[in-house]
Amino acid sequence: MIKGTAASDGIGIGKILLLEEASLEYTPHSVEDPAAEVERFRNAVNELIAETERDAAALRAAAGEKEALIMEGHISLINDPALKGETENLITGGQCAEAAYEAMCDMFISIFSSMEDEMMRQRAADVRDIKSGLLRILLGRRQVRVDDAPKGTVLLTRELTPSVTAGIKKGNIVGIITETGGKTSHSAILARALEIPAVLSVPNALSVLRDGQPVIVDGTAGAVIPDPSFDELNEYTEKRERFLKERAELERFRGKPTVGADGAEYELVCNIGKPDDAAKVMEFDGEGVGLFRTEFLFMDRTSVPTEEEQFEAYRKAALILKGKPLIIRTLDIGGDKEIPYMGLEREDNPFMGFRAIRYCLKNRDLFKTQLRAILRASAFGDIRIMFPLITCVEELREGRAVVEELKKELSILGVPFNKDIKVGIMVETAAAAMLADVLAAESDFFSIGTNDLTGYTMSCDRGNANVAYLYSALQPAVLRMIERTIKCGRAAGIPVGMCGEAAANPKLIPLLMAFGLTEFSVSAPSVLRVRKCISRWTRDEAERAAQKALSMTTVKEVEEYLSGLVR
Amino acid sequence: MIQKHFTIKNAQGLHMRPATNFATAMSHFPCSVTIRFNGKEVNAKSPMLIMAACIKGGSEIDLVCDGAREEDAINAASSMIENGFGE
Repeated sequence: MIKGTAASDGIGIGKILLLEEASLEYTPHSVEDPAAEVERFRNAVNELIAETERDAAALRAAAGEKEALIMEGHISLINDPALKGETENLITGGQCAEAAYEAMCDMFISIFSSMEDEMMRQRAADVRDIKSGLLRILLGRRQVRVDDAPKGTVLLTRELTPSVTAGIKKGNIVGIITETGGKTSHSAILARALEIPAVLSVPNALSVLRDGQPVIVDGTAGAVIPDPSFDELNEYTEKRERFLKERAELERFRGKPTVGADGAEYELVCNIGKPDDAAKVMEFDGEGVGLFRTEFLFMDRTSVPTEEEQFEAYRKAALILKGKPLIIRTLDIGGDKEIPYMGLEREDNPFMGFRAIRYCLKNRDLFKTQLRAILRASAFGDIRIMFPLITCVEELREGRAVVEELKKELSILGVPFNKDIKVGIMVETAAAAMLADVLAAESDFFSIGTNDLTGYTMSCDRGNANVAYLYSALQPAVLRMIERTIKCGRAAGIPVGMCGEAAANPKLIPLLMAFGLTEFSVSAPSVLRVRKCISRWTRDEAERAAQKALSMTTVKEVEEYLSGLVR
Repeated sequence: MIQKHFTIKNAQGLHMRPATNFATAMSHFPCSVTIRFNGKEVNAKSPMLIMAACIKGGSEIDLVCDGAREEDAINAASSMIENGFGE
């Protein structure tokens, strides 16, 4: 088995077709008649445009409008006046068209590849693609095509270019393996749009695998199995069928509201770590963001991000979400999340130590900078503030007082922000769960962080193999904490969400519905699966299951009982 | 010559789609169209150069149109930028 990047879900079983790229080598030469060379260049450009237009049309039919737009984007790059004009200048100066075009393209490739923004770095791949296209035409080499690939073909290539993808017939190509390209490359996006399993960035794929070799592509796990055994074939054929069935079922839930079998409505939002992840929330049909972890902004750098930087990040996420809710958690450092420049002292017991809200309340400037950035961004969407690691009501009051103080400041300065911004807390300590009735009276919402709540309640570190067996959100003690928190929140009339991994756990979902949870916050790829699971339960059925589960005394009993109920 | 100051409103800034749409729209006008950003001058009819300038959401730019139909060009540019390139 060879591991690569899992880029498009599913299992493909077939024979490898090695796509050898036409050699684009040439010997640069000087030209006698620059005017004729410019003419040759212009003809090649026109031919490439015509070819790309055909590809765009093919892609539109095979994958859809959004994917065809990628090819149409190529056309405007090929037509770019700066690229064309400067190439022609070089040709007039005596270079051959190949060398002139390559020089100009390479310049743009190097600019785009050095950019910070992942999306902009993708443009380097676009320019590389059009460069090879134009050189191929200038050199009179044939274009690699996959139109006539037989059924059951697994494509093996260095990089899946949109022009190759355009030729893919969905029924015939069952898998894609490439040597380069990441999860967000065009190759990956196109493979997902075509619903073809793909494993990218397989090291040395072109030399380890060979044309005609039988192979299994597991695009979910990111694995390639060359020359599979009989047993492996059996196993993966079964996996494949299960996957296809499940996918078809989940797709029915796209674009639908999240409702129980009795029609009760729930909110189904996502956890994100970067502003760009908000785009993924939209792609996977999330209804907003229930947890935006802001630590990423502070990590991998040497100083605290400025208010402007933070404002930009929060505003960007809000704008991408187009008015859907965005809960931003204030800085949650300490514990296992260390940031060198913050000068946190080494502690014997960091999880019980100086972290999260405790650190922020003592480092007011840092806290205020973040809150001011969040408040300013709240003018651009439905932003809410959430404090982590609350253990007593004073922390909530102090945090809220800082927010109020900043609101006054911003009002005086005439800076726009949402005056009714909601301020809530994470319930992730045993203290907060026990005090939930008191905290609910002063908080606009709760969000239960099951990962820490489980760790703190069971007093166990799940990273420690000797005690990890205790770590389960299904532990009777943890279930009681969760039940209490939700019920107290609901009794006070505030929404209660859950943003830990447990919110996507099909065993726990009916219990959460029974307790009265209003919002499930899960990873973007889990959205449809959770929506489906919720749709299978009425509140009455869920309550019966919850009653039974809570009457059990060991985690083993609970686990067995709930496993049998998974829908 | 006319010059106008703008703030880029859409979150993602002038990435592929807005840069391409903007450059295409601008190339319909005979006048020259230049973006001044971060001390650089960029030919606004070239999507590649616009993208290479890395103009993010919230950036401040000056747009300079010079030549025939410069007023039409700047009006067209204004409406595109003001509505966040439709994003």
